[in-house]
Amino acid sequence: MRLPLSLLLLCLTSSLAGQSLRARLEGRVPAASIPVLDSLVEVAAAEGLPIEPLLQKAIEGGAKHVSSERIERAVAANIDQLRQAKALLVQAGDTVPVAALEVTSVASALRRGLAPSMVERIVASLPNQPRSSAFHALADLTAHRFNPDSAADLILAAVGKGMQGLRLLDVSGAALQELQRGRTRAEALARVRAKLPNVPPAPTPAQSTVQGARRPSATAQRQ
Amino acid sequence: MNPIDPTVHQALDGELPPETLAPALRRDVERLQAVVALLATAPLVGSVEQRVMAAIERPAPSAARRLLRWAVRPHSVVLRMRPVWSLALAASLLLLAVLPSPKFGPQLGEEEGIAQFVGRFPGARSVNVVGSFNDWGPVSIPLEDRNHDGVWQAIVVLPAGTHEYMFVVDGERWVVDPLAGRFVEDGFGRENSVLIVRPLRR
Repeated sequence: MRLPLSLLLLCLTSSLAGQSLRARLEGRVPAASIPVLDSLVEVAAAEGLPIEPLLQKAIEGGAKHVSSERIERAVAANIDQLRQAKALLVQAGDTVPVAALEVTSVASALRRGLAPSMVERIVASLPNQPRSSAFHALADLTAHRFNPDSAADLILAAVGKGMQGLRLLDVSGAALQELQRGRTRAEALARVRAKLPNVPPAPTPAQSTVQGARRPSATAQRQ
Repeated sequence: MNPIDPTVHQALDGELPPETLAPALRRDVERLQAVVALLATAPLVGSVEQRVMAAIERPAPSAARRLLRWAVRPHSVVLRMRPVWSLALAASLLLLAVLPSPKFGPQLGEEEGIAQFVGRFPGARSVNVVGSFNDWGPVSIPLEDRNHDGVWQAIVVLPAGTHEYMFVVDGERWVVDPLAGRFVEDGFGRENSVLIVRPLRR
């Protein structure tokens, strides 16, 4: 009796999830794409992959007036990236089920151009803690043609000095500033490394800036 | 100085009735009584020194000195108030202190930060920023060109974290933010700008 009941609950929840998914996509993507996207998302959910990035990608494609085929291709490519991210995390020692946020972070790092080996190195060096900022810091440096291994060494040295989270972005920011001052990349990394952990924090917004900020209004003009 | 008959003194002091005096002395008494009456009604006049000093014109004090004098002198103030207005004023002040006012900026949550978008789009009629923070556009965030110099900007409160976004110029042209510093392939053959919002309250 228990098995049919759990099956019924599973069917019910998946049906409700499917309805809310369709509700989010309706009017935002070409109607013809919705069944395909629906099945792609179902596949991802069955594999334990986060589905929010997939919905975001589909909605982004719809907003950019991309054709149905390209939206479906982009979502399918995102599933592949999420799969690869999950596999990297498991390979580096994360336990299953892997946190959705971490899978998304790794997929984002891969999309920013980080080599899988670099991602794996960061994951293995930072067990049981958020790595999103470390990935971004490393990606910021490699985007400016710093040697990936040396850049990863700097970020991990910062972690070794007790720095974590968004402070790691201050480390990459400091290296980029040294570069702007005319240092070579190797010099920039060496100078920042010598300063660790005393890297200047990012400036906080001025009070006048904060006072002038507004929340995106729900009544604002729709695109 | 003519000596005055002592009986005249006595009559003036009321010690003698004037009728008992000789007619000439009685006339003197009457004249002196008239002078006394006249003096009684005359205004008081200061001494010669006082009149001379008063006649000398003193320079008028400067405005600052008058203001200082006014400020240091005690003044009696009569305050007439209606309790209903006082209570209304107190309630208004309390509301101002308690309620968040747009003038003082938004109240930020623990996991929220500030993002500033700036782009140069000369000749544009409208510029909006859309991204993963607003589900790619159902609620657009318009940028403003307050100085009409082609520089559009907006400062908004966003959830802390990583966001992808683009500018939409004139409602149709999708443009990457060149000042973003971080970019990622969007999967549709172009790039999105990447924004990392730091939580403001730490």
